[in-house]
Amino acid sequence: MTSVGARVRSLHWDEVTSGRERYAADNPPPGTLVGKILRSPWPFAIVERIAVDRARGLPGVRAVITASDFAPGMRYLHHGGPLADRPPLADGLVRFVGQEVAAVAAESVEAVEGAIAAIEVDYRPIRHAPLDIDAARRATAARLHDRPTGEANVAVHDAGFWGDVTGGRAAGTITAEGTFWYPRVNHACMEPNTTLAWWHPDTEQLELWTSTQAPWFITTEVAHVLGLRAEQVVCRDVAVGGGFGSKSKVSEHEAIAAALSRASGAPVLVAFSRDEEFAATKPRHAFRTHLRIHADDAGRLRMFDAGIDVDNGAYNHYGPSVMKVGIKTLGSIYGPDGVEWDARLIDTALPPGGQFRGYGSPQVALALESLIDELAERQGIDPIEYRIRNANPPGSTTLCGARLGSARLVECLEAVRDAIDWADKRANRRAYRGVGVAAGMHGSGSYAFPDANRSEATIDVLADGRVRVRFGGADAGTGQRTILAQVAADELGVTAADVDVLMGDSELAPFDMGAWSSRGTHMGGHAVRKAASELGARLRQLAAEKLGEIPDAIQLRAGRAEAPGSGGSASEAIELGDLVGASADAVDGCLSHTAAYVDDRMELFGADNPTPNVAASYTFAAHAVEVEVDPGTGQVRVLDYVAAHDVGRAINPTMVEGQIIGGVVQGLGAALGEELIYEGGRAVNPAYVDYALPRAADLPRIRPILVEGPEPAGPHGAKSVGEMPIVPPAPALVNAIYDAIGIRFRELPITPDKVLAALQATGDRPGSARSHRLWRRPDRWQIAAARWLYPRGLHTVLHRWGTRLARQPGSGPIQSIGAPTDRDDLVRQLAAATGRRAGRGTAAVIGGGTDLLAQRRQGLATPVRLLSVAEVDELKKIERRPDGSVSIGAAVTLARIERELEGDVPVLAETVRTIASAQIRAQATLAGNLAQAKRCWFFRNGFDCYKRGGVTCPCYAVLGDHRFHHAALGAHRCQAVTPSDLATTLVALDAEVAVASTAGERIVPAARLYRGPGETALRPGELIAAVVVDRSARARRAVFEKLALWSGDFALVAIAASAELDVAGRARDVRLVVGGLAPTPWRARAAEAALERRASVEAAVGALTQELDRTAHPLPGNAWKLDATVGLARRALIRLVQGPDA
Amino acid sequence: MRELEVNGTKIANEGPPGTTLLAVLRAAGLTGTKEACGRGECGACTVLVGGEPMMSCLVLAMLVRKPVTTIEGLDADDLRGAFADAGAFQCGFCTPGQLVRAEALLRRRAGDTGDTGDDADHAAGEPDEIGALDEATVRHELSGNVCRCTGYAQIVDAVLRTAERRGLAVRDEPAGRAASVPLPRPTAARAPERAQQ
Repeated sequence: MTSVGARVRSLHWDEVTSGRERYAADNPPPGTLVGKILRSPWPFAIVERIAVDRARGLPGVRAVITASDFAPGMRYLHHGGPLADRPPLADGLVRFVGQEVAAVAAESVEAVEGAIAAIEVDYRPIRHAPLDIDAARRATAARLHDRPTGEANVAVHDAGFWGDVTGGRAAGTITAEGTFWYPRVNHACMEPNTTLAWWHPDTEQLELWTSTQAPWFITTEVAHVLGLRAEQVVCRDVAVGGGFGSKSKVSEHEAIAAALSRASGAPVLVAFSRDEEFAATKPRHAFRTHLRIHADDAGRLRMFDAGIDVDNGAYNHYGPSVMKVGIKTLGSIYGPDGVEWDARLIDTALPPGGQFRGYGSPQVALALESLIDELAERQGIDPIEYRIRNANPPGSTTLCGARLGSARLVECLEAVRDAIDWADKRANRRAYRGVGVAAGMHGSGSYAFPDANRSEATIDVLADGRVRVRFGGADAGTGQRTILAQVAADELGVTAADVDVLMGDSELAPFDMGAWSSRGTHMGGHAVRKAASELGARLRQLAAEKLGEIPDAIQLRAGRAEAPGSGGSASEAIELGDLVGASADAVDGCLSHTAAYVDDRMELFGADNPTPNVAASYTFAAHAVEVEVDPGTGQVRVLDYVAAHDVGRAINPTMVEGQIIGGVVQGLGAALGEELIYEGGRAVNPAYVDYALPRAADLPRIRPILVEGPEPAGPHGAKSVGEMPIVPPAPALVNAIYDAIGIRFRELPITPDKVLAALQATGDRPGSARSHRLWRRPDRWQIAAARWLYPRGLHTVLHRWGTRLARQPGSGPIQSIGAPTDRDDLVRQLAAATGRRAGRGTAAVIGGGTDLLAQRRQGLATPVRLLSVAEVDELKKIERRPDGSVSIGAAVTLARIERELEGDVPVLAETVRTIASAQIRAQATLAGNLAQAKRCWFFRNGFDCYKRGGVTCPCYAVLGDHRFHHAALGAHRCQAVTPSDLATTLVALDAEVAVASTAGERIVPAARLYRGPGETALRPGELIAAVVVDRSARARRAVFEKLALWSGDFALVAIAASAELDVAGRARDVRLVVGGLAPTPWRARAAEAALERRASVEAAVGALTQELDRTAHPLPGNAWKLDATVGLARRALIRLVQGPDA
Repeated sequence: MRELEVNGTKIANEGPPGTTLLAVLRAAGLTGTKEACGRGECGACTVLVGGEPMMSCLVLAMLVRKPVTTIEGLDADDLRGAFADAGAFQCGFCTPGQLVRAEALLRRRAGDTGDTGDDADHAAGEPDEIGALDEATVRHELSGNVCRCTGYAQIVDAVLRTAERRGLAVRDEPAGRAASVPLPRPTAARAPERAQQ
């Protein structure tokens, strides 16, 4: 036994780190077509007509499919039985924005996009589409399906109880209750869903290379939908770029790729765009959990009463079982007398929810672990002690039926108590800092389907002595491939590196259902251990015959079978490969053995067994976190995080730790920033830039603690680990924030807007109940009137009818790219290309291209002729002039500003460090940063808004989610802001922008560069040539502060401040500029004057507060930005006045 | 048609003018460079252009004049091994981008700025950042590379361990006290800077 328990390298480390690992989209066979899906633009509509003839006739188009290409009434199996409800392509109705309507296979990306655009679909929208769970339950709501519950839009109603509910309630002397919201979050796997499908008409076989965790489910579903036998479909072994549950069942594009291949007779590659990945795949189900818990005076939990509303989305999928697992959470970790629940799975016209790591448990644990904390406090019991007191002991059976073997929750709680220095931190309090704890439990494997307690594996020993495992599951990054190699290696006396593991491929590997429900190590580990152990016995038998020993005396070691007392000489040991040759059972130099493992401890859920012991073993965890809350900006900062896990025995500690750290970071992402946002049923933030998942600098090092010990049910004592770590982070964080500021948050994610608003409400900070005295500001009346009218019909009119007149971007492929080397030449070419005859918007200057090319993908930029500044040396110069000024060429990259201007204009370097990423900074230019378009997520993500579509279109931010990147001051019809942080800083430096054209050069002060949000005052034919910071501005002290949702994001609010400070502490030439607050960088002139009058930060902050009161005109959801502005300005001014040590 | 120098050999760019560097690389069989967003938001397509890490999905191949290095030609076996030992990848999809980005950082810290051309007159051959490499700096510099699996800790470990083995100054921070939100500010950045008169 050397491999199991060792920190063995990932089996494919060489392939992965050299770029040779093959994923589904890599090197498809010659002749592979591009597949693309046409998706519904409506949340709920009747599909009256689909016309595909024009699309079919286009050059390069090889197949166009609709619902009529599948059997009538075809539905995915999903959870099976009467719950199956989703067609492969819409047949009559669409029920969410993004539902698949038709699909095309063509010879190029251009051809496939042209064909998609050429498909004509007539939709008749259905009114009152239920766009959230409350709307779905209203009497007026349209019903998405006819459901057997009889209740409107309730797919499943589950009410029930365990234990003694009456006794439990009666025994309780204290209760805590609350309603908790866990939003929809996306898996955001790095590899988008991708399938290469290849139908072979001659053999009637379908080969798939698909990004999945469960090849068995893909073959089963694809065969079903296409009317094939399962053995006609095979998923080949291919690397999988992340799953987290999303790929544990069919992902609704595999069958489309397959149908396209069958229709076209060629291999077809369907790879989702990132937009599709966020907007059209199945996210975590949002839960609204109302929970009341009863406890007695001794601090014992007695009863849980739960009401759970689950946002099902438009189709069932696994919603019924996700809800079930959510309920089970209440009957698992602690032992109240009873649990009673009333749960509804509610249909909404949104993308259907799907499987996500934790599977219903994180949502309900948020409620349970938060309320336990509340009770502990009210009862004066330490929260860790409270949990220890109520933990189910080893060997007990929980209310939901789990028969616990080993259970080391208490050890986990004790471990995090020590590791985070709990007692000291609770006793010696520091302002705005707090610690919190939460716990969880999860099964190892689940008997959720018939045969899910069974797994098979085949082991081959080859003539060269190498070992091969053939296993039908798939490794989406969990390390299962390596774990299986380690297990086999130990049984056969070789090293893990001597073992190849072939996965998926039902032609070559026996039955396994895949890696889901934490079954990878438990089921796969057992199956491989059993097969390898049995094959080992045969090898020992063979060796015994050769060596004249009894089999029991033979040891398999170092790739050989050895007789006792052997010194290793040839007569006493035989290489494994030689035994293969000696075996009569070997075929073609390969000795194989297949074994099936069936776990009898696991019980299937059914009517006769409402409380099954679904898993063979159960894992536990306790997490503790220390946070700090910034009362000025509402930002929550995680300072330290420890996660103790009862893992049984860690087969590969490095991989176990990796699962824990990764799971915690995903859980903290959901707690602090992640959330899918919809407007009118359409995804608002389907992009990494708009989705606040953790980047490397956002969180500290997560510290995993492995609490190891025996577990008889596990392979080598191992328990599951992948799902457990995502459960405790959110409640642990909520509890820590309460400990820090005395406010309990019950809705995720806990973003700065919520924290700041809550702090205001508790009176912790000066109130923000500002009237802004609009009645005295005639310049705002028109905007105020429009905002008043928006919810009263104006939005509806503009959205429903106005957008029909929206201008469509006249995009096309880039036709030419010029790269002149001389500035005058560039200016002349630009004049010619943008002249009246050339057509408006058809030509543009390209710098780093980081915005222009992104805009092309977003359907925003139309230029087809580009002029690059990259070869114009004059524009790439940084000049330190004799008069003390610095001139920075327009094409100087941000990276060079950071590196080369650190000494000359340090605040520019400081600003640049907060912008985007190192890669973008290496590409993006100064002028490109200044001239980038607004980052409003409606504008960027395909909404036909006022700025994208024209005057007849609405601004979606007025009624939509405008908390982060919209103006709270000075907005007009468009609510966006200028996104450039450098603009904010350059205004504070009184910088001048040199603008060149054929007419010569003109100077525009940075403060007058913008005439609107991300809209410059440049005229056609003009380009930014340089930015000049003069000597007096450079002589001023300057600072930059930024509040952002993640490291590198655009500013929610940014402050650039500068001043000339004399030795007496007096300030002159003060500039206080706010970015992200108004359509263009906004100077807080009253605050500037106040600081000049009296060099007091508080005086300036007071003046700023009053000035914001006088001038702001926030939207309902972004008034918090005014408070954040004040908080951030205070921080900036303290640094400005007191110097670097502040 | 233009030629690009990739990993020391010439490859043809036969696509239309709008073809990205990423598309050229993948069409040439260099599929270690991944597309995960196509909008420069995730880092999976990071390659070196003239030694600088760039998002190849946002680089027009026609405008590339300098040599390109992809994961396949990175020549960083020690860093690859450190990734493997630390457990710095799980699904592996972001890994080529992480490695290329990290290697660029390590080379710059070692004073090898590559043939960046633009600023060849400035600081060429000089380490442009002062002080030891620490966890906060590595985290900041790698923040453009999204990883959804690992939670980053082991990636940071692998980079720091490789830096040490290459003889770079590394500062270890106390466990569990890694800087998070505030950016590392070199001392010079915070000092009130008077213009050179």
